[in-house]
Amino acid sequence: MGRGLYVHIPFCVEKCSYCDFYSLPARLGALESYVRAVVQESQSYIGLSFQTLYLGGGTPSLLGTKNLKDLIGGIRKSLDLSGLVEATIEVNPESATREFLETVKDAGVNRVSFGVQSLSDDELKSVGRIHTATQAISAIKLAKRLGFKAISADLIIGLPGQTWATLRESLETLVGLGIGHLSVYCLSLEEGTPLAENPPDDLISDDIQAEFFEKTRAFLDTCGFVHYEISNFAIEGYECLHNLNYWRGGEYLGLGPSAASHLHGKRFRNRADLDAYLENPTGQTEYIEELEAQDKAAEEAMLRLRLLTEGIDSSELTTRFGHEHIEAIISRLDGMVGEGLLTYENSRYRLVPSRIITSNQIFARIL
Amino acid sequence: MNSGSYPYFSCPLCLHRDNIQLAMENIRNFCIIAHIDHGKSTLADRILELTGVLHTTENAQVLDSMELERERGITIKAKSVRMPYKSQDGKEYILNLIDTPGHVDFNYEVSRSLKACEGAILLVDASQGVEAQTIANAYLAIDAGLEIIPVINKIDLPNAMIDECRQQLEDTLGLPGKSALLISAKDGTGVPDLLEAIVTLVPPPKGNTEEPLKCLIFDSFYDTYRGVIPHIRVFSGILKHGDKIMIKSTSQVHEVDEVGYFTPQLNPGEKLTAGEVGYVGAIIKNVGSIHVGDTIISPDFPDTQAIPGFRRSQPMVFCGVYPINTNDYVKLTASLEKFQLNDSSIVYEKESSAALGWGYRLGFMGMLHMEITLERLKREYGQELIATMPSVIYKVFTTNGEALMIDNPSKFPDPSHIDHIEEPIISLRIIVPNEFVGPIMELSDSKRAKLTAMEHLDKRRALLTYEFPLAEMITGYYDKLKSVSRGYASMDYDFLGYRGGDFVKVDILVKENQVDALSFISVRESAQPKSRALIHKLRKLIPRQLFEIPLQAAIGSKVIAREDIVALRKDVLAKCYGGDITRKRKLLEKQAEGKKKMKMVGSVEVPQEAFLLLLKMEE
Repeated sequence: MGRGLYVHIPFCVEKCSYCDFYSLPARLGALESYVRAVVQESQSYIGLSFQTLYLGGGTPSLLGTKNLKDLIGGIRKSLDLSGLVEATIEVNPESATREFLETVKDAGVNRVSFGVQSLSDDELKSVGRIHTATQAISAIKLAKRLGFKAISADLIIGLPGQTWATLRESLETLVGLGIGHLSVYCLSLEEGTPLAENPPDDLISDDIQAEFFEKTRAFLDTCGFVHYEISNFAIEGYECLHNLNYWRGGEYLGLGPSAASHLHGKRFRNRADLDAYLENPTGQTEYIEELEAQDKAAEEAMLRLRLLTEGIDSSELTTRFGHEHIEAIISRLDGMVGEGLLTYENSRYRLVPSRIITSNQIFARIL
Repeated sequence: MNSGSYPYFSCPLCLHRDNIQLAMENIRNFCIIAHIDHGKSTLADRILELTGVLHTTENAQVLDSMELERERGITIKAKSVRMPYKSQDGKEYILNLIDTPGHVDFNYEVSRSLKACEGAILLVDASQGVEAQTIANAYLAIDAGLEIIPVINKIDLPNAMIDECRQQLEDTLGLPGKSALLISAKDGTGVPDLLEAIVTLVPPPKGNTEEPLKCLIFDSFYDTYRGVIPHIRVFSGILKHGDKIMIKSTSQVHEVDEVGYFTPQLNPGEKLTAGEVGYVGAIIKNVGSIHVGDTIISPDFPDTQAIPGFRRSQPMVFCGVYPINTNDYVKLTASLEKFQLNDSSIVYEKESSAALGWGYRLGFMGMLHMEITLERLKREYGQELIATMPSVIYKVFTTNGEALMIDNPSKFPDPSHIDHIEEPIISLRIIVPNEFVGPIMELSDSKRAKLTAMEHLDKRRALLTYEFPLAEMITGYYDKLKSVSRGYASMDYDFLGYRGGDFVKVDILVKENQVDALSFISVRESAQPKSRALIHKLRKLIPRQLFEIPLQAAIGSKVIAREDIVALRKDVLAKCYGGDITRKRKLLEKQAEGKKKMKMVGSVEVPQEAFLLLLKMEE
């Protein structure tokens, strides 16, 4: 299994009303010093090699060409990126200039994930997105023209005012643009976000979201997309390796405030405090967790069930964690097979497709 | 008549002179009866101070020792206190103040305390007037043949209505209202005159020290070292350290280890003689062997007549009590055992429920007793309990001629084996300002109550007397009464008897599984509206789950109410949180934690609140 590198870019022009990620608007002046800080943090892990890279945010496309070059170039000096097979950057449509995308490509990034969310301008406006549908479509077309093969788009189910007609149109258009990957998220009201504080009247109910989700699944299936992870659909060969690694319980390093890591069996996370990070980028670890074998096995079972096609390989899990740590989990999984929540085939447990949308209920029973 | 000589007691507080010899005619046994909050405790404090038992200046010392006593399970003021008193004409008296339980569920216990006295101070709050408990207690005192001294308290209040109170005493109780004493227990006004009235008006006890021993048990408490300590009034004979005593109802014999009286601390002495009030210790370890109202006699005279009126107090209201976590059953058992030592009126026995696991069926004297006990038990036990819907005892007559006493709906026999059913009826007295009579009648009508009398106590207030089904009382009637009368109604009740009715048992089914703890008994005509309300509440309480959950109420196999909880449609964590798996797992763990607190009914997770809600179902 490869190792992933995640770099968090905690800046946005404006924060969307549903977002609870660590991201600060109006701190663009700090970009340059931020890049220096990330490079400095990466020096703590000198020599560590990675197979995937993911620049996420926030809005990584706000970095601009110089900062992006400095960032990747700087990290390369201490970390071994020679074996990279996938390098993704999240790009917001409004900042997808030709110059920037070319720089991205030159820096070795081979996958672009566009924060499209919807192709209805009303829906975009309702949650404070600062781009239009036209900008999103142009950005994807531009990326294709520049030769990016792996292009992904994020979509949100449940935006205020959304209907199946508008959602279907967004899906059709994106598929028609020839992208190989789609991440589809159901909107959730996260505590403390403006959307949760003041939910609009035309918010889509959970039941309707569930209906849209099933319709989305069916539609993308007819278009040849495989639903390979709860929120992710891909034409075969275009799955996101970086995210797959999360669900397979693989190792990864996260750089930047609020970024999470999983190395040598430990999970840890940086404090979500930009100023403290800029001052001391290597001293921000706020939380270290090392689970007992049985809890670790349960966590991995929970993560792997998210992989809808791959599922849990029970014999592999047993080999890795030992029979005594896996026994109780297996019996819980078997129980849920009996209830029709999971399937069991060729020593693999998988979520029954109709249960994906209520999978928390199942995961909670594994832990 | 033999004059009982008063024994020598050493008193740590030096409140009594040594070697005082007092004849029986210098003893006064009395109690204070009042409606709640009419000032009984304050008056007791003033009397204790005036007689020198409680020195305001020595408060700290007295209170310290009280605290000690309290730790050992005694509530001082709730019992009896012996006080020396020198009247204005210079005579020495012994006053025994005997406290009565101030609780509508304990009429029987009150009657036993009254039995130990010759006189009663009937205390009325000048700003409130005669209330339901004033009347109930006054009748008990009249029945017990006590000399009643009417006293109007709180005359210092600006809204005191002294003349109205006098009139009410005359009109409702036939007491000499015009000669009622006027006091303020708060500032002490009139209390010295009241003490004089006690010695002049209350007759001295009668009794013969030469006759065989006869004592009334009117209360008891449990002491870890000394066992059960009965509070007694000696009616004849002498009780000494080393004597053998016999409990009349059980013929159990014990050896007296200690006799004494309360000052209010336990004050051991050599003997108690006819007319006196005190306690007896005889290392009685079994709480269940001492009952209020029983008679203590000498085993040398086993044929001594019992003091009339003894009955085992019968619990009237029952409910199931279950630990939330089934592993805590042992802890609950220990708490109940400990609890019962100081409230022997509580009965409990093991019970198991398919939904709730192992627990206990608890019996209480009434619904207020139940509420207070559950609250105290929770505190003692240190965590939440599931208390199921309270039930009364139904008399179920079967087709083969048996009469079954059923305190738990789930134990009801099959309807085809039931000939008829009777339910307990209470006599309920409500005193209320005239403007609330209408709403209260409306409320009571909806509870199947039968109005048997209505009188106007004065221009302002009415006394309503009802024959009232106890079952309707225990499902929130009292709270509603208070609410429709804006807190002005007062009530009192006693047990009247059993009356037949058309009852059905309603079962609640959650996804085809019957939930035994939710079954209830209802009169047939209100079974459906009650079921609909209950099912509707359940639907809101049980979270949506992965499958549809039909909720049904049924009489036998006939479904009378139904609602369905539709299957959960969306519960999914989609976002990746930049690989923050820990956060994702913690969210799921929280969810898993919530699931563990649920009770499983078949495959359905039912929150504990579903079982609690039935207590307040009518609201």
